Amino acid sequence: MSDHKQHHILSTRLALTIGAVLLSLTGFTVYIAHFDFGRWNLIVALLVAVTKAMLVCLFFMNLLYDKKENSLIFATSFFFLAIFFTLLATDVFFRGPVKLAKGQALYLVATGAQAKPKFKRPWVATPELVARGKKVFTQNCASCHGDQGLGNGPASASINPKPRNFTQNDDWKKGRKVTDIFRTLTNGLNQMPSFASLSPEDKWAAAHYVQTFGAKAAEPAPADFALIKIDPNSEFGGAAATVKSIPIDVAIELVVRDAQRKN
Amino acid sequence: MSQTVVSTDPGVRHHAHHFDSAEHEFDSAKQGMWLFLVTEVLMIGAIFVAFMTFRGLYLEDFQAAHKLLSVPLGATNTVILITSSVTMVLGVTSAQRKQKGLTVLMLFLTFLLACGFLIVKYIEYTGKFHHGIMPAGLYTGVNEFAASSDAFKLFFSFYFVMTGIHAAHVVIGMGLILWIMRRAARGEFTGGYYTPVELVGFYWHFVDLVWIFLFPMLYLIG
Amino acid sequence: MTTHASPAGTNYLNWEKGIWSWMKTLDHKRIGLMYLASVLFFFFVGGMFAMIIRWEHLSGGPTVINQATYNQMFTYHGVIMVFLVVIPAIPAALGNFILPMMLGAKDVAFPRLNLFSYYLYVAGAIFASSSLFGWFGNPPADTGWTFYTPYSIRTSPTVILVLTGAFIAGFSSILTGLNFIVTIHKLRAPGLTWGKLPLFLWALYATSVVQVLATPVLAITLLLLILEKVIKIGIFDAALGGDPVLFQHFFWFYSHPAVYIMALPAFGIISEMIPVFTRKPIFGYKAIAYSSFGIALIAFLVWGHHMFVSGQSEFANFTFSLLTMLVAVPTGVKVFSWVGTMYKGSISYEAPMLYVFGFLELFMIGGLTGVFLGTLAIDVHLTQTYFVVAHFHYVMVGSTLMALIGGMHFWFPKMFGKLYNERAAAVGFWMVLAGFNLTFFPQFILGSQGMPRRYWSYLPEFTFLNQVSSWGSFLLGLGFLWIAIYLAYALLKGERASDNPWGSLGLEWQTSTPPPLENFATTPTVKEWSYDYRPGTPLPGSKTA
Repeated sequence: MSDHKQHHILSTRLALTIGAVLLSLTGFTVYIAHFDFGRWNLIVALLVAVTKAMLVCLFFMNLLYDKKENSLIFATSFFFLAIFFTLLATDVFFRGPVKLAKGQALYLVATGAQAKPKFKRPWVATPELVARGKKVFTQNCASCHGDQGLGNGPASASINPKPRNFTQNDDWKKGRKVTDIFRTLTNGLNQMPSFASLSPEDKWAAAHYVQTFGAKAAEPAPADFALIKIDPNSEFGGAAATVKSIPIDVAIELVVRDAQRKN
Repeated sequence: MSQTVVSTDPGVRHHAHHFDSAEHEFDSAKQGMWLFLVTEVLMIGAIFVAFMTFRGLYLEDFQAAHKLLSVPLGATNTVILITSSVTMVLGVTSAQRKQKGLTVLMLFLTFLLACGFLIVKYIEYTGKFHHGIMPAGLYTGVNEFAASSDAFKLFFSFYFVMTGIHAAHVVIGMGLILWIMRRAARGEFTGGYYTPVELVGFYWHFVDLVWIFLFPMLYLIG
Repeated sequence: MTTHASPAGTNYLNWEKGIWSWMKTLDHKRIGLMYLASVLFFFFVGGMFAMIIRWEHLSGGPTVINQATYNQMFTYHGVIMVFLVVIPAIPAALGNFILPMMLGAKDVAFPRLNLFSYYLYVAGAIFASSSLFGWFGNPPADTGWTFYTPYSIRTSPTVILVLTGAFIAGFSSILTGLNFIVTIHKLRAPGLTWGKLPLFLWALYATSVVQVLATPVLAITLLLLILEKVIKIGIFDAALGGDPVLFQHFFWFYSHPAVYIMALPAFGIISEMIPVFTRKPIFGYKAIAYSSFGIALIAFLVWGHHMFVSGQSEFANFTFSLLTMLVAVPTGVKVFSWVGTMYKGSISYEAPMLYVFGFLELFMIGGLTGVFLGTLAIDVHLTQTYFVVAHFHYVMVGSTLMALIGGMHFWFPKMFGKLYNERAAAVGFWMVLAGFNLTFFPQFILGSQGMPRRYWSYLPEFTFLNQVSSWGSFLLGLGFLWIAIYLAYALLKGERASDNPWGSLGLEWQTSTPPPLENFATTPTVKEWSYDYRPGTPLPGSKTA
């Protein structure tokens, strides 16, 4: 490698010219900021900034006159920064299925999201209710109780005592009637969480399905209905059966907004 | 690897023993500097990414908040830094031409402009603190400086973090400039050896580059 | 500071004596040894924390420490092992020593920067370790080495010391990577074309690129977290409108590539050792070289697989799970190439080769279980359980530690001019391998059965496997101690080694043992590929001088 190679020396005139261009571009970007181009504001500002940056890199930092190696090295950093932003964007800009129209209040969406109940008098078992119950059971209960209801689902490995085995008819702490199961679903029991977030008819359906694992239980008495505040003379169970729950994702959105409103 | 012995002949100079020649050493040092700038791009770029994320999520809040920044002061700082990049470049070229006096002068002007930048920053920051405009958790602005939301305050967190880290780099740069000013005054730089000036120049231009993006992002479009 | 060729007949160890000569050395070999000593010291410290954790887990209830202390134990175990041991281990210790020699160079490109990097490591280590004693009366950090917000914002201010330590140590890593890239670009000996570059150097090159690109993001993340605690910037704090999941993105954008900083150099060492101990050219040289860069690139695309249950969007979950599958491809290319090299080779079972087999067993299990965890639907059940703990120990110990210890044995004669005892080494290897598998294999089972990680206690049904794991860990610790003992003995009283006891074709072996200060008497010109073992290649001569 020769010691005598002359390095490129930027001419003073060129340096001053580039400086002048940079200052003009600065003036331009300030001027143009007075106009609102909506989402183009960002693009315009970035374009000017990138132009200025390129001038600094190519002339002041000599990249135009230097080995391509160094330009490649510098450019690589921006490539990886772009990777960071792009993959980050797949999360932060795509969160939450709750899409609101402009100005729409979240609360209205929440209450509107309640499904109208489909089954009249859901505490009476029907084949459709039991089929619905099987779906609810598979999604919510089978992981602990097992899909044969034996209390041996995959998650039961770390639960002590084991989840209830529905094929055994004795010793149900809260009772085996369909109203008892409804109550247990609402309140939870020991390590079983509350499933109050399920709609009442889903709870009835699950209760009916659970009963199919064992012998037929006794019919509920008026006192049993009173205990769970359901009116057996009404169509859907009365006022207490009105859905007070909202979809989980809507609830999370409400909590977050609530937290943000606190100053 | 002492480098205090310098030949007056621009072509020949001592170099570290593990390099084949001074050219080899200069080339390697320059590449090392570019790699260092790569790390700076990733470091500073990451905060820009966070800023753009929050801006994308809370556009109106950010646009409302940025109005509290002073565009004239920001623009002044931009002009100062660009000018300082010009003086820095002229410092490098005069070092290459072995013009000792001019080199020292250009570096000194760069240093002065950097001081000017910090003075403007000081004015900005104290002005903000005076009105209670602080990072989000410490924000106490009221009336026309009141925050309309949490995201409004987060804008200022970004403002202080980004311009603060930038200012810290300016201070470091000033130290580096003083260092090479001293060496230039001792006649150490020639066309065959001006590596420290070149590399400090790169650092300084990078500081300018970051500001070229900071200014519009924070002050102009919010 | 002037360095000149050392007087004839001296080597890098004895030409200059005294502690001060080591502390101000610019010689990459001495710097590498200082790193090695420091890394091994912190490995011992981090191991102590592991022993306490395993001791606690001998029973499900309280055994020796309480819950708060337990949280501190796994925090410091992680911080020390990740930042002070596994990340710097191979590049800074073995890499520093061997890289210039493999290039036929006299030193790295920036020797002063190299020494400075070492002192940065020391400074970072001091900050991080001093926090063990608390800070102004506040208890030590208990956030886990991952420092997740918002807990890390709310918890003891001592965390700031740890963050500072990791920040400073990070720059040690960055500058080492920078140094290596310029060295490989600019200081290759005449004749050393890219096509002849040893695979350890391809690996270090890819590692260095990752270090330079990823570590700065860690730096800013830690800095932002410090600012969160000190001036409440709120970017990661939901109570101030920020996003805690964003912290995880920032953290894992570095920390996932970080595991490839740990693994890639290890792959490089394996690639070096197999041809020597099977007397066959490496199979798939180009594939292994390119796959290092393939892995390095994909490393940056998959960090979200650490965050499948963090609350990030379904779109991100899907994208990251899909991309994660890609990384198995170049990794598989390497494993098949290594096995292809051994096929029909003439294998000898010196310690380095034993560690190659250890690596293959451990890394295969670790890597495959990584594919399980990368599968979104499975990860949802296995995340934050002991399955993950087992997985990352298998890959990290399996790759980095096996390669580090194997490499230490491989280059031990070159570095110190002495031979270790092969029988002692075999005993140590089997203790470590058995101990490791006993410690961590049960943890796969525990995790799949639901035992959560970072919990001080566990349910009674997990007791037996936990006890197996703990006793395994004690065996593992004894194994490491044994290795330390016989290696120390070899240092002091080992037989004098010949210049090239393994009969390796590598360039670093073509100079005297231990090497002179500037590595080669005259700059070598590289004519041959360093893996050209064929029938007729002379077997190792006498191992002793």
